[in-house]
Amino acid sequence: MTRARKASVYVALVLLAAVSVVPFLWMLATSVKHGQDIYNKVPTLLPLDKKTGEWAATLGNYEYVLGVGGLGSAFVNSVWVCAVLVPAKLLIDALAAYAFARIPFPGRDKLFVIMLGGMMVPAITLLVPRIHVTQSLGMFDSGWGLIVPNIASVLDIFLLRQFFLSLPAELEEAALIDGAGRMRIFWRVVLPLSKPVLAVVTITSFLFHWNDLVWPLLVTNDPELYTLPLALQQLVASPDGGRAYYIMAGATLAVLPVIAVLLVFQRRILQGIAFTGLKG
Amino acid sequence: MTAPVLERVAAGPGRRARRRPGPRRRDHLTGWLLIAPALAYFLVFLLYPALSALYYSFTDWNLRAEANWVGLANYADLLFDDVKYPHFWKSVSVTLQYTLIAVPLTLVSALVQALLLNAVRRGANLFRLLLFLPVVTAEAAVGAIWRWLYDPQYGLINTLLGLVGIPGQNWLNTPELVIPALAFIAAWQCGISMIIYLAGLKGVPATIQEAAVIDGAGPWQRFWRVTFPMLRPTTFYLLVTGVIAALQVFGLVYVIFSGNGRSVTGGPEQSGLTYVLHLYLFAFRYDAMGAACAMSFILLVFIMIVTALQFRFVRQEAA
Repeated sequence: MTRARKASVYVALVLLAAVSVVPFLWMLATSVKHGQDIYNKVPTLLPLDKKTGEWAATLGNYEYVLGVGGLGSAFVNSVWVCAVLVPAKLLIDALAAYAFARIPFPGRDKLFVIMLGGMMVPAITLLVPRIHVTQSLGMFDSGWGLIVPNIASVLDIFLLRQFFLSLPAELEEAALIDGAGRMRIFWRVVLPLSKPVLAVVTITSFLFHWNDLVWPLLVTNDPELYTLPLALQQLVASPDGGRAYYIMAGATLAVLPVIAVLLVFQRRILQGIAFTGLKG
Repeated sequence: MTAPVLERVAAGPGRRARRRPGPRRRDHLTGWLLIAPALAYFLVFLLYPALSALYYSFTDWNLRAEANWVGLANYADLLFDDVKYPHFWKSVSVTLQYTLIAVPLTLVSALVQALLLNAVRRGANLFRLLLFLPVVTAEAAVGAIWRWLYDPQYGLINTLLGLVGIPGQNWLNTPELVIPALAFIAAWQCGISMIIYLAGLKGVPATIQEAAVIDGAGPWQRFWRVTFPMLRPTTFYLLVTGVIAALQVFGLVYVIFSGNGRSVTGGPEQSGLTYVLHLYLFAFRYDAMGAACAMSFILLVFIMIVTALQFRFVRQEAA
């Protein structure tokens, strides 16, 4: 490639990356500005005083949204939901995937196909009656309602099963002949060999549930139960919705943990997407 | 259409394992026990809701009274009674327009990003990370950020446009601009498609590219004659999944049009009233659950038809 072409490729990449990233920088900048300083006809990425042009950053917006805005308790709720849901779901999915991959029992493969078929129904079709089921089980507007109706994922079972099938069966057979039980093999042989796929499933599942707005929106009424995305949406819908400095502080709180996860696990996440072609 | 494929996937290498000698009976029990929690989830939160949604779509189900069987009335009213459901066709048209703009825009922007990333070595990982950032962001945050970016008076977009002399627009309050504004956000979030295109590009053999160079093909020709045709399966996959997702767009619109009572109508003159937002309003605001279930099945059938047509189109192209 000629030097000029190479340079133009980089210029294009820098421009596209700017389009991608500047909204986040703008969000961050707005979130630490004083109210009067954001209404400025001259855009500035730095928190400067509108009149004097001096440095004028504040954390007051965060204080407000975490307290009065209700995002503090919502943050804690989101952490709780993810801390319970993500491991529980991983365990349930991995157990089922292992059985579907390795333990022969009558009707197993037919059942698996039926479950896969269920994956093709659009989520929205299930939403209304799923809320109804949650209500009938007495879990509506409760912490359980945020967790139990999401406690397994057919897609994750499929991914885990495909990976388990790719492991050499000889290892497990040797253990079986040595008299190890199925569960022992699962814990001691299969899971340690499956760290890459377990990581991908855990990370995508965390991202999905941390970001999920729709299910908490439908299943909760009590503001005490709001998760972070829902609390943020409620803040947008409140009279504070016009106060961009508050809203951007709230958005930053929702985005930062996810960016941290992306920075730490970027290789696994990107590989996972290329591998599955799907998110969440 | 998909069942034989799934059956083959399901059978897979597992078939061989079945003949392996072992403690059979205990295996049966262990197997069922291991899948029991997932199976319970599947029955209670997937299969039953799917079947009951179908049943309720033939009833006048709401939260105030017992559900009565009404046959096809919900479907007929939705499709033909524009007094009872005045915005049904509006929501269909909004969703189709959104899909027709957002999906191609997303694919083109993903492909351009992937081609550029594929052409560089140094810094590729950093650029890939930055371009991917918008996808992992919660839609509540995306909606909040873009409401502020699109702000008519102090939003960054109008400010930047003003610097180059283009008059600012009231993006989210002008009916003609709402769908392009939403589609632009979708293209901004094209990172997943970009990663999949990138994986597809890695699968284009270098030898073919080199052969084309030797034959004197320029970069433009190489793209249209070699790269793009080799990416067809990827493009097709992204097109099908992209259309399915775009037809169900909801969370982002919900956040964008939150507040000031606007969420009830879905933007100025219902210009942002997507199909699923409309469905949501009928289920949870107007307490017409039966009609909402019917709406969800109309969408399901529509998605199946569109997907089948896309498959058919591709097969004809290939023949």
